Amino acid sequence: MSNELDLNKTYDAIVVGSGAGGGMAAHVLTSHGMQVLLLEAGKKLDINKELKSMEWPYDHPRRGDMPPDSHALSGREYTIRKPPYAQGSPYKHVYSYVEDGTGSDYAKDIVVDEKDHPYTGTQYAWVRARCLGGKTNIWGRLALRLSDYDFKAASRDGYGEDWPISYADISPYYDKVDLYLGISGHKENLPYLPDSLFQRAVRLNPAEVKLRESMAKMGRVVTPYRAGVTTDGVKHNKYRVHCYGRGACDRRVGGCDIHAAFDSPTGLIYPAMDTGNLTLRTNATVNEVTVDKDSGKASGVSFIDTDTGQTYAAKGRAVLLAASTLESARLMLLSKSSLYPNGIGNSSGHVGHNFCEHLMGPGVAGLDKELVGKPRTLDDGRPGSFYLPRFRNLTDRSSKFLRGYGFEGGSGTGMFPENAYSTPGFGAAYKKTVRDYAGAFIGMGGFGEVLPRYENYVELDPEVKDRWGVPVLRFHIKFGDNEKKMAADMADSAREMFEAAGIEVLSVSREILTEGYSIHELGTSRMGNDPKKSVVNQFQQSHDVPNLLVVDGSTHVSASCQNPTWTIMALCWRSCDHLAEELKKGNV
Amino acid sequence: MSYQINRRDLIRIGAGAVLAAPAIFAAADAPKFFTPAEFTAVDELTELIIPSDDHSHGARAAQVAAYIDVRLAEAFEPKERDDWRNGLELVDRLSGKLHGVTFMEATPEQRIAVLTRMAKNEMKPKTPEEIFFRELKHATAHAYYTSKIGIHQEMEYKGNVMLEEFVGYEVK
Repeated sequence: MSNELDLNKTYDAIVVGSGAGGGMAAHVLTSHGMQVLLLEAGKKLDINKELKSMEWPYDHPRRGDMPPDSHALSGREYTIRKPPYAQGSPYKHVYSYVEDGTGSDYAKDIVVDEKDHPYTGTQYAWVRARCLGGKTNIWGRLALRLSDYDFKAASRDGYGEDWPISYADISPYYDKVDLYLGISGHKENLPYLPDSLFQRAVRLNPAEVKLRESMAKMGRVVTPYRAGVTTDGVKHNKYRVHCYGRGACDRRVGGCDIHAAFDSPTGLIYPAMDTGNLTLRTNATVNEVTVDKDSGKASGVSFIDTDTGQTYAAKGRAVLLAASTLESARLMLLSKSSLYPNGIGNSSGHVGHNFCEHLMGPGVAGLDKELVGKPRTLDDGRPGSFYLPRFRNLTDRSSKFLRGYGFEGGSGTGMFPENAYSTPGFGAAYKKTVRDYAGAFIGMGGFGEVLPRYENYVELDPEVKDRWGVPVLRFHIKFGDNEKKMAADMADSAREMFEAAGIEVLSVSREILTEGYSIHELGTSRMGNDPKKSVVNQFQQSHDVPNLLVVDGSTHVSASCQNPTWTIMALCWRSCDHLAEELKKGNV
Repeated sequence: MSYQINRRDLIRIGAGAVLAAPAIFAAADAPKFFTPAEFTAVDELTELIIPSDDHSHGARAAQVAAYIDVRLAEAFEPKERDDWRNGLELVDRLSGKLHGVTFMEATPEQRIAVLTRMAKNEMKPKTPEEIFFRELKHATAHAYYTSKIGIHQEMEYKGNVMLEEFVGYEVK
């Protein structure tokens, strides 16, 4: 149980946000015996009632779709309009593109209503979740490590900045995250994609085995999806059970109602509550980090009750921001004072800048002809399919672009045969073709490293405010030349690899999706050793305000092409261990 | 009808559940948006798109028309309903042009000829009939393959069950 909130008390730490970073901060700090106040802007949902992972489509009145007065932005809307995207919409609720698909009704309370949360500026597909656990409730589960190819990328190719840490610094913390939360995968011994301490791996479908064998001849790797899912169980956690391969993971927006897939509430926050050291306050939108004028340190936060609109103040010896990359930047920029006129922790002027992420869009769809007409197999009873790690700019240097990309893919069919929409014709022949071909498809889409650039940034909009009167973010984010060249190579190499594997190529996608689409936003408060060029140090502590930490994706110096969640948590664990030590020593 | 359901299907979905007679449904529930005549035409059109065959029942048994009707009745944009009403009119008009009778008055062969004409440019529809065919087919496919019959009998989906071990090939 959570303790009662006491606004007269000075907590050892206040954590803002309850996703991967905030949940991990709550876990680590409470395990050090610290009294922690965790503030979440959204509500606490009865998540199992929301997700209903095993409900059949025909048992839902709209086969899993949202009510008719709700609208999800389509991919195209992001390209033909400008934010705020919900402005002038006749619909009662408008959601981001993640709600534009099957099973949207199961996630509508998890993601934000764009009407309440506008933003302005350049086109950007911003996906936000406001509820306990944030986006971890519906994340894609791919859990990858970074390596020194990423942390020291600048030294390798001369672009940008190295991270102030190396793999050796973070490796023990990746291990801790693996063991505490559980991760599924197969050891490959790749220096550029280090193995985790894996539990039972998922298995591959026939077309995926074919691709794996063919790629091995090219010196490339197809490995079972490295899922942030416990496949053997985590005995120390009573809120989770191991994966039962029910396969609902991809036919919904996401979510796992037995919590085999990691989510912050069951993986981190509920166990933290059980220590007796955690106080949780939901519906608490933090709008300012407050400052003690004498010491210059953070004194706590001010927050708005999202239901009543009333403002409260809470006090803490340390403040940790984990509101998500862009929201943490917004909060620092909002925290202006006479001491910090450009926003707290922003003497460098780098808060909101050096944004980076992953580009998405290019990919390939193909057909394994040998599987056509074969008896139906169970293709989607697993928490992920396959991952094809990066291969560019590792041993040799591409002349066309910097850095690399990997592919996420899958094959066979899920519950719904997607080829029912693309197969032409009608009648018995159409029906048979859909049936015979449904299990024979294989596809994959790329995730490419977007270079951090100072000019890609967010700032506060001088006029537009959200439903609670808080200034919103204005975006200045555009892909550049490197991204365009990389995307072209992604599409070409995807085709080449399928052809090499004897998979018939049906279509190649070359279009880059709108900025933000990957939901892997990073940077905006990057770490570094130089206070003039970075916002936080290697322990995610503000250079300006030592008791202010940023423990989400904001601090990543570069995006790599690996999905960020596991790195967010490993870094946060390391920083929180350090903070606990420093508080004990009286250094903060 | 020679289709059978096996024992496993019966265990999974409950005996008899998929055998609900469509005629009973139609008699019990008046359409919410379509007129009775429109409903009959949609029921026929969807069954022509996904018919019963040796393998499984088709769109009619899966009550595809009823599902489309319910969704249109509550659609937020009136245009969605207008498009369907106009589309069904186009079907009758096309049938009149080709055969001199409405779609439901036409013979089974004539009805297929009407639909064949509408489906002519399916990947790049141009005329209003062709555009309506895309909508009709998309809605039919969605409703059918999310139905009990579509999922269990036609596609023989084996998932959404608790597995002790993942299916597929272990990577060595």
